[in-house]
Amino acid sequence: MEAATWTVKKNMTRKERAVRFFRNAVRNRWLYAMSLPFVAWVFVFHYLPLWGWTMAFQRYRPGRPFFEQEWVGLEHFRALFQDELFYQVLRNTLAMSVMGLVAGFVVPIFFALMLNEIRLMFYKRFVQTVSYLPHFVSWVVVAGIVTKMLSTDGGPVNELLVGLGILDEPYPFMAKGKLFWIIVTLADVWKETGWNAIIYLAAISGIGPELYEAARVDGANRIQQMWHITLPGIRTTIIVLLIMSIGHLISIGFEKQFLLGNNLVREYSQVLDLYALNYGLGMGRFSFGTAINIFNSVVSVILLFTANGIFKRVTRESIM
Amino acid sequence: MNRKRNWLVLLLAVVMLAGLIAGCGGKKNDGSGNSGGASSATGGGSGSTDAGDGDLEPITFTFYGADPNPNWQNMQDPVGKAITAATGVILDAEFEVGDPAQKIALIAASGKYPHLISPKGDLGKLVEAGAMLDLTDLIEQHAPNIKKLFGDQIKRLRYSEEDPSIYVIPTYAEVGQTYFDASGGFQLQHRVVKELGFPRIRTVKDFENAIREYLKRHPKDENGNPNIGLTLNADDWRMYISVTNPAFYTTGAPDDGEYYIDIDTYEVTYHFRRPIEKEYFRWLNHMNAEGLLDPESFVQKYDQYLAKIASGRVLGLIDQRWDFQEGENALKAEGKFEYGYGHYPVTLTEEFKETSFWPVGFSPGWGVGITVDCPDPVRAIKFLDFLASEEGQILDNWGIEGEHYYYDENGKRVIPDELVERRKNDPSGFQRETGIGLYHNLGAHYGDGVLDSTGNYYTTNFPEQIIASYNDVEKEVLAAYGAKTWKDLFPSEEEFPVKPWGAAWNIQVPADSELAVLQERMKEITWRRIPEAILAPPEDFDRIWDEYQQELLKAGVEKMEDEYEKLVRARIKLWNE
Amino acid sequence: MGNRLLRSSTVSDRLFDAFVYAYAAFVLVITLYPFLHVAAISLNDSIDTVRGGITIYPRKFTLKNYEMIFSYQHLGTGFRNSALRTLIGTVLGVISSSMLAYTLSRKDFQGRRFVSVFLALTMYVSGGLIPFFLLIRELNLINTFAVYILPGIVSAFNVFVVRSFIDGLPYALQESAKIDGANDFTIYWRIILPLTKPALATIALFVAVGHWNSWFDTYLFNSQAEHLTTLQYELMKVLQSTQSSVDYRARNMNEVMAHISPESVKMAITMVVTLPILFVYPFLQRYFVKGMTLGAVKS
Repeated sequence: MEAATWTVKKNMTRKERAVRFFRNAVRNRWLYAMSLPFVAWVFVFHYLPLWGWTMAFQRYRPGRPFFEQEWVGLEHFRALFQDELFYQVLRNTLAMSVMGLVAGFVVPIFFALMLNEIRLMFYKRFVQTVSYLPHFVSWVVVAGIVTKMLSTDGGPVNELLVGLGILDEPYPFMAKGKLFWIIVTLADVWKETGWNAIIYLAAISGIGPELYEAARVDGANRIQQMWHITLPGIRTTIIVLLIMSIGHLISIGFEKQFLLGNNLVREYSQVLDLYALNYGLGMGRFSFGTAINIFNSVVSVILLFTANGIFKRVTRESIM
Repeated sequence: MNRKRNWLVLLLAVVMLAGLIAGCGGKKNDGSGNSGGASSATGGGSGSTDAGDGDLEPITFTFYGADPNPNWQNMQDPVGKAITAATGVILDAEFEVGDPAQKIALIAASGKYPHLISPKGDLGKLVEAGAMLDLTDLIEQHAPNIKKLFGDQIKRLRYSEEDPSIYVIPTYAEVGQTYFDASGGFQLQHRVVKELGFPRIRTVKDFENAIREYLKRHPKDENGNPNIGLTLNADDWRMYISVTNPAFYTTGAPDDGEYYIDIDTYEVTYHFRRPIEKEYFRWLNHMNAEGLLDPESFVQKYDQYLAKIASGRVLGLIDQRWDFQEGENALKAEGKFEYGYGHYPVTLTEEFKETSFWPVGFSPGWGVGITVDCPDPVRAIKFLDFLASEEGQILDNWGIEGEHYYYDENGKRVIPDELVERRKNDPSGFQRETGIGLYHNLGAHYGDGVLDSTGNYYTTNFPEQIIASYNDVEKEVLAAYGAKTWKDLFPSEEEFPVKPWGAAWNIQVPADSELAVLQERMKEITWRRIPEAILAPPEDFDRIWDEYQQELLKAGVEKMEDEYEKLVRARIKLWNE
Repeated sequence: MGNRLLRSSTVSDRLFDAFVYAYAAFVLVITLYPFLHVAAISLNDSIDTVRGGITIYPRKFTLKNYEMIFSYQHLGTGFRNSALRTLIGTVLGVISSSMLAYTLSRKDFQGRRFVSVFLALTMYVSGGLIPFFLLIRELNLINTFAVYILPGIVSAFNVFVVRSFIDGLPYALQESAKIDGANDFTIYWRIILPLTKPALATIALFVAVGHWNSWFDTYLFNSQAEHLTTLQYELMKVLQSTQSSVDYRARNMNEVMAHISPESVKMAITMVVTLPILFVYPFLQRYFVKGMTLGAVKS
């Protein structure tokens, strides 16, 4: 349908198009009224501050007037791309974010599907409410619990594994760089699954019961219903969230990595956002920090459009 | 597709245009605001000099402090009221809650400054923005107490050689501080030295042997849990205290931050590049190979470290008292005094002196300054001068006479017992009720051991009190070593030459400089390599250490040393000319 | 409902049920732990806490940590402001997100693409702290309550979430309303809003939690206005334990450490901050079920 209007429009003269545009605009007046104020709003609060990107091309000193700042061209970008450490933190960031992306979608969706199958309403609500509690517990506390659990000095996990004879002696999980990414991912799943499932639970409750009714009449068992009705019913939501998350792949924060990490796993635990803090803002290097910020934004936007384009073509679902 | 691209182009164009407009507009305003503020402040300053003398008319100054001060009571506490009564000043204060570097950057960028400001390490940003007032003349004309407090050393307050203004009154440095007790060195549990008949603990070998011997006799504690020989505290910045600083304390070098400065040539070396420190880390590697070092040393979080200490299982520590005392306090609360720790002046070999007490002379650092937005700099400096006066310092340290302390028949200041208890049990409640200590880093002050005009100490810490605070086990151990305090075991201040640069660690490295980046880079390498070297099999130690040194060279450690040396030389020149 | 219960009688169904219930129980246990852990420590004697080893119940029970927190002033003001901003912010946030989501769901809306892209980009680009601060200052929003509400009114994430729900609704509903002469706003208000309740409840939760937990805007913009303080900001003050590598040399650390909140107090603060907001979710949960009536409207 869209393609049809497309060709029609192409053949019109400029004037015809203008007339058509205004006629449409009048017809859509309510839609304009409901969206343009917010667009203006977003422009003020999100787009105006983008003048700050100019800092990346200066040696910005706070308190100096704009035109008295020293301009340095691409110096900060050059420094960034020539830094070996930058590539290391980029690798770590991508590794952990991809793992987090996969786990962060599969597990909460699975959890939401399971919860949906619980028919004792009280039990369902209770589990649901409790499952989102860890979201409110700070990473400091969660990281503390994780390190204690995995401790070689009386940590429950090691005691269990040694007790069962799986290990001969306690294994230093937290000292192994190779395990760090997995530990972070699991800790994240633990903390955020319940919270992330909320959105899917809401989506599931939007699926009409008559669809299940029909499926049952066709003799579908519960797993088949889950697969053929529930999952497709929340497909749009999943894809929309997925596209947005893919855009965020390289900005994943640094709190959990910082708190779970230690000097023995430093090569695996440092992420881009921490690097930006340590070598940028934290050091008062606003310009360098802004250069990283711009790099971040550009990559994010590319990822976003790529993901959006792919999904649009493959699943016909997209956000833009 | 095509259409989408068009939208994008349009969007970008609009954004850029808007950005430019907003950028220029915003910045223009900044500029004018800035200069306006400066000129009006100068006007205000000269105007009030005439009217201001001896003026107690109420005045409110805004203040920003880069340190948190959660117990601040808007000066409505007894001490605060007394200060207001004496100066007429009320501070409308804001104390830092997040990251001061960020906040101060915003203050500098906004061009609107609080009247008084304590920016800690971020003074440079404000100076650069033209926010700070030069206090030299104000001190000369209106601040007799500040002048008296700093005496000849006042030239050390100057900002730099190019800009010899005084921007802050140093309020973090204790003038004339004497330390009465040791809080560092190496620590051994009292039960260890008692069991072994109080052996001499002087070198790392002595320390190691004591731990080994005790562990051999008592591999487990009375509950059957394994005793731990030595555990280190390497959670984030604590790495400095428990892992890397001891490398210079034990090898005859003073604490100059991450550097070693030759006292004759002023040549600067990143201290990990001293060959002798390699031997210190080799010893830690050896401790690990022997199974005497806690394998979790580099993994555990701070609370796990404290919990281990509180369990009483850890025989030896290398740390500072303030960093482990929470754990020890838990032991004391259970009456397990034998599990407490003594401090020993351990060095790598006998030829070195433990350098904890290497004196730094007078080494001012952070402090409080007055900004160009202050409506009445004279009243402001007089306020700061009052805090530096004897009356002001006694108020801050002791509180109000008759309320928080009294003079006994010998003219000695005494704190009533119930207040001592109150302070111990609920320090923050006590502080909010009395206001004692809330103004400590607002005013310049003397340190422990300085006597005031009545012959009393300015501060509430003095030797008699420290000895009285030892428990019986501690006294027994000290007696066995022939000492009254732990400090008696350490080489004293007089044994070291005075360093002409004071304490190098409080030389401000310009935030946005190459040196700052290099320092961060070296830290990155060191914090990764040192634990690796310590935990490696002994035969690999030399190889890893060589790789570490190569990595430092490659990352530009020599450049960093040269840059730092320039700063050290500049300070020596500025301070001693 | 009862109908479905009766039906689950086959063996595979029972096995499936057993699995589901066991799985839920497992999740229940592991997700309850951290919170109970925090609660236990907050109720434990602070010196005893240092010894470690506390799991989900206090070893040396005390209410002292809570007493200490409540002895701070401004908590009342902070609570009031936090509650107020959560309430106002949530209502406005839900309205703005759903309105925008509706316009973006309309395939016949010309500005659809532009607005979508324009909005989506806000999630990934930001000008940084200083320009944002200067903007707020230029808008005279420093030391105002409005600064809590205005900058965050439109959240792109929430808009797209709601739109994905609206896209799932049958378009026929809107068509029939149109034929009845309803304008776009009426359709939004009368049809879209009621039908997207589960989605609105979800984003209401997100917005509310965001507002309740935020302290950074108070810190940046309203730190000099005592009457505008928020609960989180006040508790951040108590929580503060800025120790850093620069600090330890320059300070009398014995003095500094004496004023750092013990672990137990920190946990009590977490509890005080978290408990009020936790009650929002069970309250919103009923809308998740109410969405079920949707089918009735459809057919």
